[in-house]
Amino acid sequence: MRNYLRFLRRCAGVSLQGDWRYYTWIGVLGLLCVVGLNAYAKQFVAGLITTGMSDQVSWGVFIANFTFLVGMAAAAVMLVIPVYIYKNEDLHDLVIFGELLAIAAIVMCLAFVTVDLGRPDRFWHLIPGIGKFHFPGSMLSWDVLVLNGYLLLNVYICGYLLYCRYQNRKPAKALYLPFVFIAIVWAISIHTVTAFLYVGLGGRPFWNSPIVGPRFLASAFTAGPAFVILALQVIRRATSAPAEAGPLAANGAVTPPVPTRSRAATLADLERLASCLPEIATVAVEERRAFLRDATVLTVPTGGILLHQGETDNDAFFVLQGRIVVKRKEGPRVRITRDVGPGEQFGEVSALTGAARAATASAEVPSEVLCVPAPALRRLMRNPKVNEIVTWRMTERLMIADHSLLILRSIVQVSMIINVFLLANELFTAFYNSNREEISWRYLVVGLRGFHALVPWFWTSVTLNLTALTLLVLPLSRNLKWLNVACVLCIFGIWIEKGMGLVIPGFIPTPIGEMVEYLPSRNETFICVGIWAFGLLCFTILLRMAVPILQGKLSRWNEA
Amino acid sequence: MPATEPTPPLSSGDGISRRSFLRVATALSAGVAAMAAGLAPLRKLEHYSSVDEFLQKHYLDLNPAEMKRVLARIEDEVQRQYKIRPHVRDFRPMNGVEFVYALNLSRCVGCRKCVHACVAENNQSRNPEIQYIRVLKMPNDGSFDMDKGDTNYAPKAVPEAGSFYMPVQCHQCKNPPCVKVCPVKATWQEPDGITVIDYNWCIGCRYCEAACPYFARRFNFTAPSIPADKLNPNMSYLGNRPRSKGVMEKCHFCVQRTRDGRYPACVEVCPTGSRKFGNILDPNSEVSYILKNKRVLILKEELGTLPRFFYYFDV
Repeated sequence: MRNYLRFLRRCAGVSLQGDWRYYTWIGVLGLLCVVGLNAYAKQFVAGLITTGMSDQVSWGVFIANFTFLVGMAAAAVMLVIPVYIYKNEDLHDLVIFGELLAIAAIVMCLAFVTVDLGRPDRFWHLIPGIGKFHFPGSMLSWDVLVLNGYLLLNVYICGYLLYCRYQNRKPAKALYLPFVFIAIVWAISIHTVTAFLYVGLGGRPFWNSPIVGPRFLASAFTAGPAFVILALQVIRRATSAPAEAGPLAANGAVTPPVPTRSRAATLADLERLASCLPEIATVAVEERRAFLRDATVLTVPTGGILLHQGETDNDAFFVLQGRIVVKRKEGPRVRITRDVGPGEQFGEVSALTGAARAATASAEVPSEVLCVPAPALRRLMRNPKVNEIVTWRMTERLMIADHSLLILRSIVQVSMIINVFLLANELFTAFYNSNREEISWRYLVVGLRGFHALVPWFWTSVTLNLTALTLLVLPLSRNLKWLNVACVLCIFGIWIEKGMGLVIPGFIPTPIGEMVEYLPSRNETFICVGIWAFGLLCFTILLRMAVPILQGKLSRWNEA
Repeated sequence: MPATEPTPPLSSGDGISRRSFLRVATALSAGVAAMAAGLAPLRKLEHYSSVDEFLQKHYLDLNPAEMKRVLARIEDEVQRQYKIRPHVRDFRPMNGVEFVYALNLSRCVGCRKCVHACVAENNQSRNPEIQYIRVLKMPNDGSFDMDKGDTNYAPKAVPEAGSFYMPVQCHQCKNPPCVKVCPVKATWQEPDGITVIDYNWCIGCRYCEAACPYFARRFNFTAPSIPADKLNPNMSYLGNRPRSKGVMEKCHFCVQRTRDGRYPACVEVCPTGSRKFGNILDPNSEVSYILKNKRVLILKEELGTLPRFFYYFDV
């Protein structure tokens, strides 16, 4: 418990540190939060009359943003499912970012619902047991339960996994896997329940369509991963620095090798390793001897390079003493993918797969490492305990490789195809028949009786979505630049589709045929901007804490 | 020596230097100042709520003693605001009574006297004016399409040739979608068939407003404004006592009148006798006679809401 508090304190400490870009970003977001808070204070005093809403259109951009953001939160499963169900290794280091995004998105959802309430002071009426919770009758009560539940699940999962990484120990499966699987089902449920908020209203034919639930999921699984693709590149960029002269120089200049001393490994060295990697203790003595036959101990000074990115040798290393930093050159920039200490390994991926080195490892401080050839490592890994810990640690690096982004691209691609297909289904039903129940669709798409405030929104969304779809299905978007364009288009297209294109037209015309249009007011827009800024602020701070932990830079070893 | 790339310094977080302390302190005070500036509009907030109001239990959970205190407090609040001592009562449903409303579409002339009588009786906000009854002018063109309805008609005299009029208000459904969706049970159906709202329990999420197929619910987008001389001092808890900003309200069949043996204001004021109201459980009531002998129209019957509000024709 005390350790966990210290962990939290250090996380908080790290969230206050950064370069000028970080402070500027945080400062701008903080300022926008204050603008939003000011707008909300005005709304609190005057009432919701400060919004563009009316009795006719009684939900506006608050609920529209809420709906969109529930989708963003649910979309975290699109990273969780490949990793935990299909055992995808490429996304393994990225799944936590999806979960952190879910936390920020749910926080925004709760904020949007709160600002939409006429009497936020009576929120306690919603607390089961204390208030009067209409469960299971009201879909809104389901939403309260599933959203808060999802928030707790993700806070717990992220908190536990990051803490374990910080403590440098393997997380106990029983303590997180069940929750991960619950969270998968839960994520689907939060967005389905949100869809049911609308679908359940028999008096609103525009919403009362069974296809709304699937449409919500498809659009969420488009916009969510699209946002993650962009966020990951920002993280990659922010954690890297321009390469300077040296071993990682962009021009590939060869630097003189750093002298290292090597000697044959002894049983005493293995004992030292076992003291920080207890799994070694389970290896039988004869196995240890065979293992040691080929192993050497290298002593490296600060800056000494142990392996070079792009080379194809096949040694793996265990740190006996000191710190080794693993850096990856990406184009003209260099980024720390992991920072390993005693008991941890590096170079094992190339050793086991024969692939070229993905990064360069050098000593941060004078260090001693145990160098093990691939066959010896394989033999060692026949021991199940060792196998488990070594395999687990293989995923403990912040790669954010391009092909991981391309896996996300295929998710966005497929979801967008389904999303556009489902929308086409709705449009066919609405326009092929002259059913007057579909009159809101007419209002949305072509305008009705001289009212067409939403028509430009609809066609903007369709244009954005179709352009994004075209880009996504073309090989062009394997290029990250084009992929980013497609992702931005997806996010905006779907934001409109679910907000101005789904929440608002459901109210127009009213059930008794009146036409009253809606546009968000200035104050309402400021509140939205404030909440988005607050959400992004939360996400940024969560990332600021998580990234150094995942890199191994913030860890128990450097506790004061 | 190989160059090490610049990485932001990562202090252990425990050793706080004086410089970083000053920096944090400056940032914190700037943040607090900005926060205070942002919250400045709250100074204009007038009497938002009281501790008693905040902690008040749901209507159905109040025992008679608590109810008495609540009614007295509401009377005090009204007096403070309007300088008029009202009489706020809690009318309970009568046994053996289920209210039903019938409206004669052949007779209604669209004069909207009902709309205004309702506003005056039920202490609705006058600015912006909240009206429970919406009258549609519909064309006599061989259709019955509410999308052709006009609610903003303003001729010199009614009725206009070629039109008929259809007032729409709460249908007091037997299967009310608004009650089903309320997340806090702030609205419910009473044994006499009236769907009521506890204005002190409503959180103002407006889900009921989205759910209602008859556009019968109204939200107080701002604090209601009623001239003191227009205030109806005969009030009831579930009925016409003044509402606060941010809560829902709706037609409650003038619960302060009908549970006291009188007709709703809209029935009383109607100059054409198009509006009929009574107890459906009484076989000799006027509404029982109408439902048995007249051609009846139920608005949006296909939704299964089972309204207690019927339209009928003189044929």
